[in-house]
Amino acid sequence: MRCGSGIETRQVDELFINIDPIQAGGRLTPDAMKAIIAYGDGYSVCDNCRRPNRLDYITKPPIAEFHKDVAAWLNMDAARTVPGARRGFQAVSQTYVNKGDPVLVTSLSHYTEFLAIEEAGGIAREIPADKNKVVTADAATATIEKVKKEFGRPPVLAIIDHVDYQYGNVHDVAGIAKVAHGDDIPVICNGAYTVGILPVDGKCMGVDFVVGSGHKSMAAPAPSGILAATAERAAEVFRTTAIEGDVTGRKFGIKEPEMMGCTLMGATLIGMMASFPHVKERVKHFERELANNRIVMDALLSVDGTRVLSEYPRKHTMSRMDTSGSFDQIAAAHRKKGFYFSGSLSERGIRGIIPGATKVWKFNTYSITRKQAEYLAEAFVAIARENGLPVRESS
Amino acid sequence: MPVHYVYGDPVSKRAVDLTFQAIYTLTDLRALFRKTAPTHELDSDQRAEAGRLLENLERQVASLRQEMLR
Repeated sequence: MRCGSGIETRQVDELFINIDPIQAGGRLTPDAMKAIIAYGDGYSVCDNCRRPNRLDYITKPPIAEFHKDVAAWLNMDAARTVPGARRGFQAVSQTYVNKGDPVLVTSLSHYTEFLAIEEAGGIAREIPADKNKVVTADAATATIEKVKKEFGRPPVLAIIDHVDYQYGNVHDVAGIAKVAHGDDIPVICNGAYTVGILPVDGKCMGVDFVVGSGHKSMAAPAPSGILAATAERAAEVFRTTAIEGDVTGRKFGIKEPEMMGCTLMGATLIGMMASFPHVKERVKHFERELANNRIVMDALLSVDGTRVLSEYPRKHTMSRMDTSGSFDQIAAAHRKKGFYFSGSLSERGIRGIIPGATKVWKFNTYSITRKQAEYLAEAFVAIARENGLPVRESS
Repeated sequence: MPVHYVYGDPVSKRAVDLTFQAIYTLTDLRALFRKTAPTHELDSDQRAEAGRLLENLERQVASLRQEMLR
């Protein structure tokens, strides 16, 4: 079935349990789907744009209220919607980073943080994760000292992942922010895997900015995200335009250069807004998500030779597994090679693991039901048994 | 006298409303497929929900037919 010329109708989440590590938290709510149907047209949210003409002032639909609610929900003072978390890193980097300035990231940072620094002319310096793949305040202290020696000054900005994309580990953002503020370094908490997934409190962490991803973690369409700031930093990053045309004398009101004026103007914004009440509610029940994750993780770890590379017990539903001692042992002799694993999962109605991967792979159980978690757990065990891998009986 | 429907006419507005209502009902059914994938085995609550949604859909489509084709 097609929904346009050459465009197949996507039915992945209707037909399969989808455990793709980056898709789970962005799965739309029914309200978001409905809102997109009504507001899919390009400038659809702009019907009632009145002076001062800016997206976050529109009251119908309640975009202004949404901006205030998001800031309050994250315990920050101001928020803007952005086309993806990366545009949040970019806006902040463009404000604080000049050519040759050192900027702190971590050894587990997302590539878009590096690109934001590069575009601003900065130089990235990574805080190394420890042997458990966790970034600590002590490591941040050591890296800042190292930077001071190398550059003769502290970093101008720090971008720290709350939960990283590689292991799904939780890092000490609060501890790092405390250390960074000792040298007046503004801190971005990259909440791409936490904002909309579990409770996030910007002031409690002591950060200057919280960045969230709509399509990764707020049940919103792509590209969408949130940039929230303290009042002090908002005045800097959300400063208004001062430029003027020399021939026409035109000025551009209260548009914000770092936001390039208005940001999300149609389906992306309205989808994020429609999901927001559900997202606010679901973060209160993260324990339930971890319980479902445990069901699947226990089943996987019951297969001899399987290891979890992420911190354990899990504090997040996205995990990195090492099955080189289990499922990968079958791949070499199997007629489908490594594809037998994803193929067997697919036959059971499970998608999201990279086809062919049997050594190291990631999965995310966020937002599946308990029944689906049990189904998933049984499927992993059944595939192991079917291929002669020893499975320990659960106690 | 031929009947002319213009923007905002209450009759054509009703037909448009019904179209959106039916799409929204189908969206709720879609969500049910997602919640129960991959087996789509419905428990008693889900069966009741599916029944209610399908009844609504039938009513909405019947009303739409009446509005558009009269």
